[in-house]
Amino acid sequence: MFKKSMWYSILVIACAGFIVLASGFYQAIIVTTMVGPQPSRETPMTQTTGDSTLSSKNPNSVQLLILGDSVAKGTGDEKSKGFSGYLPDYFKNNTSKEIVLDNAGIDGLESMGLLEQLQSKRLDKLISDSDIILVSIGGNDIRSILSLNTLAKEDEFRVRLDSYQSSLRLIFKELRNANPNSMIIFLGLYNPYEKATGLEDARLLTTWNYNTQQLVEEDGKAIFIPTHDLLKFNVGKYIAQDGLHPNSAGYQALSYRISKSVETILTGL
Amino acid sequence: MFNLIENEVLKMISKKRLMFVLAILVVLISIFAYGQNHTAERTKAQLAQRMGITATDDWRRLADQQLIDMKNRLDSPYRDEKDKSSLRVRIEQLQYNLDNNINPLEQSAAKFTTKFMEQSIFLFLPLLIIMLAADMVSGESSSGTIKLLLVRNVPRWRILLSKYLTLMILEIIVLFFAFVLSVIISGLFFGLGGWLAPVATGFKLVAGKLDTSAVLNVPQWRYTLMVYSLAYFVAVVVGSISFMISILVKSTAASIGIIMSTLVAGNFISYFLSDWKITRYMFMVNLRLTDYLSGSFQPIEGMTMLFSITVLLGWAVASILVSFVYFIKQDILV
Repeated sequence: MFKKSMWYSILVIACAGFIVLASGFYQAIIVTTMVGPQPSRETPMTQTTGDSTLSSKNPNSVQLLILGDSVAKGTGDEKSKGFSGYLPDYFKNNTSKEIVLDNAGIDGLESMGLLEQLQSKRLDKLISDSDIILVSIGGNDIRSILSLNTLAKEDEFRVRLDSYQSSLRLIFKELRNANPNSMIIFLGLYNPYEKATGLEDARLLTTWNYNTQQLVEEDGKAIFIPTHDLLKFNVGKYIAQDGLHPNSAGYQALSYRISKSVETILTGL
Repeated sequence: MFNLIENEVLKMISKKRLMFVLAILVVLISIFAYGQNHTAERTKAQLAQRMGITATDDWRRLADQQLIDMKNRLDSPYRDEKDKSSLRVRIEQLQYNLDNNINPLEQSAAKFTTKFMEQSIFLFLPLLIIMLAADMVSGESSSGTIKLLLVRNVPRWRILLSKYLTLMILEIIVLFFAFVLSVIISGLFFGLGGWLAPVATGFKLVAGKLDTSAVLNVPQWRYTLMVYSLAYFVAVVVGSISFMISILVKSTAASIGIIMSTLVAGNFISYFLSDWKITRYMFMVNLRLTDYLSGSFQPIEGMTMLFSITVLLGWAVASILVSFVYFIKQDILV
């Protein structure tokens, strides 16, 4: 009797299970093979370049272009302003001209990505019209090695630094091809994990920044703005809730610093 | 026919092998659930130390921030349309977490149950199935009971078919218990909820690259259902292959050994022979079907969900054919 009821319950489970699983199997195939909505890709790009041709080089304005990663974009600012919001405010003190700003920052961009962005030539029009170009790149190149152990970290760091340096050289070449005269402001890296870093990490960061600065100085019309010193003891104050990007106050402080460094250049424009 | 299957199922139950499989499931699931619980707590502690936030109450602010950032990113005209759909999916997930007050760092029974099967599908589940399938026929040969079966007035193919159907039923039972046990046991650790949370799926491979343009969110219960269905498919395929081996090889130990070593070898064969295109047609390489759902696969050129399913189906059909032909034609001298 017990065996009989066991057999029936097994049979019921098996039949019900088979039907349920068959439907799930069908769904799984549908989900992985169906065709998604075809994205219309080029439209937004052509629009922006179209806009910039309209507002093309006006002698009574200072054109500012922001390139690079999430810091360039302004990610982390709870007021959603970032450099695009604060830099013009500070620049106004030194120039009477109108400030026109474009922000092409993309979250998570690595140096290779920026290079691709430049090589696609979509931004060339914007670049050639710009008087000042602010670049922030490299943070995403180096961030993922933090979790590695000490030995692997050292090796990986070398590899990343090499590839970063060569793409940075090419980035400068691209920028200068499009516009030989603009002022390039290059932001250094800071360490958002100040509380949890050892001496070794600090050394890697300074090596990185040092090498970057060397490359930036080679250009002649570019300036390297350090950020590490400003944020080192102000992590709690200047870093956003995500623990990685600057917050509103952080962007403000950095913008202030940048505006001070290019004061004379601005008045000359 | 019905009686034959009933007879076979009762035989399997009385052999205690099914009980053994269930016992293994209970022990392993308990260990994994405990381990997951432990890891979750450690992650929280690390996060708190690293970022100065306590993950338990500060996650909302963090999620709010991420949500704003992602919405900004969506608006950027400099971004590819392709990335946007995956961004939308992530926004939807975060929004759900916020609306329903679910800390994304917390585990849930639903997540655990799914994860468990995703991790078992390529080795652990096949091994359980092998334990059941490998002696279905060879066991009868080695103990001599096959004579008693064959002297009955039933064609050989019906005997074999009843054995095969029994195997298919038992595979469902194993999956059913894997599901129920992991829900119950992980429910003790993490609570029983989480079945409505959205999960991203719909990844595709286009020209060797991950295409996220068709990504969409499905509720967790549907995702779990899909994972277990794929697992059942894998179980049937592995079951068919070991069923065939148990017919070809008379000794149970040998048949278990053969299929197990094949399986284990399959887990690193693609590492050594990645240049050799033919490895794609081996069934062991195609067992990780759930990776296509979660988008976590290593993109190998030419491998898609349909490809893997076709390959596996081919193996299953071939093994069943071989099994029947061999079993009907062979001389049985015990």
